[in-house]
Amino acid sequence: MSRPDVLVDADWVEAHKNDPGVAIVEVDEDTSAYDTGHIPNAIKIDWKQDLQDPVRRDFVDKAGFEALLSERGIAGDDTVILYGGNNNWFAAYAYWYFKLYGHQNVKLLDGGRKKWELDSRELVKDIPDRTKTSYTAQEQDTAIRAMRDEVVAAIGKRNLVDVRSPDEFSGRLLAPAHLPQEQAQRAGHIPTAKNVPWSKAANDNGTFRSDDELRTLYGDEAGLDFAKDTIAYCRIGERSAHTWFVLHELLEQPNVKNYDGSWTEYGSLVGVPIELGDGR
Amino acid sequence: MTAANQTPGDGCGAPAGGVPVAAATHAGSQAVVEGHVVRDDAPVSTGYARLLGTGDEFVAEVPLGEDGGFRFFAAPGTWKLRVLAPGGARADRSVSAEYGKVTKVEVTV
Repeated sequence: MSRPDVLVDADWVEAHKNDPGVAIVEVDEDTSAYDTGHIPNAIKIDWKQDLQDPVRRDFVDKAGFEALLSERGIAGDDTVILYGGNNNWFAAYAYWYFKLYGHQNVKLLDGGRKKWELDSRELVKDIPDRTKTSYTAQEQDTAIRAMRDEVVAAIGKRNLVDVRSPDEFSGRLLAPAHLPQEQAQRAGHIPTAKNVPWSKAANDNGTFRSDDELRTLYGDEAGLDFAKDTIAYCRIGERSAHTWFVLHELLEQPNVKNYDGSWTEYGSLVGVPIELGDGR
Repeated sequence: MTAANQTPGDGCGAPAGGVPVAAATHAGSQAVVEGHVVRDDAPVSTGYARLLGTGDEFVAEVPLGEDGGFRFFAAPGTWKLRVLAPGGARADRSVSAEYGKVTKVEVTV
């Protein structure tokens, strides 16, 4: 996939936001962001309420995803343009999620809501009325999703990329610095993981850095072996979806998985190895 | 449950203005950095505050609140606060954080 296959810019969205066959979707952790104003003709998906199973820690199943997209008026052949806040973290998570269920034509708005706002582009409160569809999803593509046993088995064998901040990686913090530090899990990182914070892949305005810069970042600077398969993780799997997008979609690495269990799962497992400090 | 209508374990994302502390003037055991962004004496409600570490390493970012407010729960130490606002506005401030203290930073762009 080349960059134009997976990214659009704001001018493209301005030109195509009302096209039939195009669905603009905002995905934010803070769903009130959509309600205070969104890109014209955009609909909302709530990453937690809509995409997570309400009881188990897992995604909604295939039937649930089909029901969601049908209800929101998204068809299987629609071009879905995802954007959101937090430098597109949750939009990238939704992108990966759409790919997981086999939606082929999905792209990110480069820079997401942040660049749209900083450009002073129009935000509206109107809710678009999309005709309901009968969406058919595919079975989950496990080639892009890592589960815990696979992660433990990958220690020392595959590239493990921890995309949290250096302080979370080292064990000095348990959560990002805008959240209270009050969690009960163990701190640290998976042994042999390289720490490449997601933020290094993004410019200040939320857009992705150039392919050359990204290749240098992960290869020359972080020392990832591009000949090996890779698993990315963070705390709950959405920042690492951003890095999965970079490695799999922009740099076209063939075997990259997102471990959505991430540190909240790994750091609570009994008996697995944990490494503290800044890594090697 | 914290004072915010959010459980920290819910996610890594940043609500506008950041997560409130139980009482705005008490840090408890946290090292809080908070403040407001103004332009022409009016709050800047569209914009972002970023906390950067050594070498401008990104640490965290929050969208500004309706009142131009932001809040971070940092580790003790010296940080760079960077504010981004529409029109290419950008301002950097050096801030120090320590446990049990709310460090106030007011930024004009």
